[in-house]
Amino acid sequence: MADFALLHRPALADAKSGSFGAPSTVKRITLAALPEGHVLHVLAARGSGDLQGLIPRIGDGTPHAARPYGPGQWFVIGDAPLSSAEIFGKTPILDGKASISDQGHGRVRIGINGAAVETVLAKGTAVDLALSNFPVGHSAMTLIGHISALLSRTGKESFELLVLRGFAESLWDELIQMSLEFGVDAHTGK
Amino acid sequence: MASLIACPHCGPRPKEEFTVRGDAGITRPAPDAGEDAWYAYVYLRDNPRGRHREHWHHTSGCRRWLVVERDTMTHTIYTVADASAEGETA
Repeated sequence: MADFALLHRPALADAKSGSFGAPSTVKRITLAALPEGHVLHVLAARGSGDLQGLIPRIGDGTPHAARPYGPGQWFVIGDAPLSSAEIFGKTPILDGKASISDQGHGRVRIGINGAAVETVLAKGTAVDLALSNFPVGHSAMTLIGHISALLSRTGKESFELLVLRGFAESLWDELIQMSLEFGVDAHTGK
Repeated sequence: MASLIACPHCGPRPKEEFTVRGDAGITRPAPDAGEDAWYAYVYLRDNPRGRHREHWHHTSGCRRWLVVERDTMTHTIYTVADASAEGETA
């Protein structure tokens, strides 16, 4: 039990907010600081086989809640904050085949969408973002510039980035910079 | 150095996403192997010209250890495999 209450401050609360860059309306980019609900890191046990069907059951039932990023490794995310009891309550679902670690304190999500979203993100990563190669629901851990982030496609023209909390504002500023030619509206949710 | 590594899990990625550990062919000596064997294991490395097998870590991707066989002269990548698939722990 903690001796004092920890104060939760959203990582992007003081980040740049507003409209920047070109005045265009056609290919405008929207950036959004997404709710800091829960981020669960799920790691498969050695030799536990294919868990693709099992992992989404940890999630809150929304599409794209379970995001694979390597063999036996997932992030399960959602908008609702979870207590440690609620997280612990999910472990029986995995039946010892994988373990859960709460990373809600460590990583935050940024939403980015717009007609030019692929062009903007391609400035930072070498991953082929074409819809045919990176379909909706697909995830990839990669570098955006020098910052490591989990990139997930949530729609034809929308992506989410899961980034280490301490790098979030830096990535936020870079995403604004990368979007200037199309114009960008950045919403920190303040 | 070769610039694109075809990670067996993530697909082709730039070398900036990886960390190179070095020679994949070195085996850890027994604890009582003696000072010379341990000195060689820890410090001494060849600097080969041509084909070379190395351990690479996909640090900014899937975080798996890979064995990359590449040519140090031409930068050609011959094979990339997950290190656990090799059945060896060097």
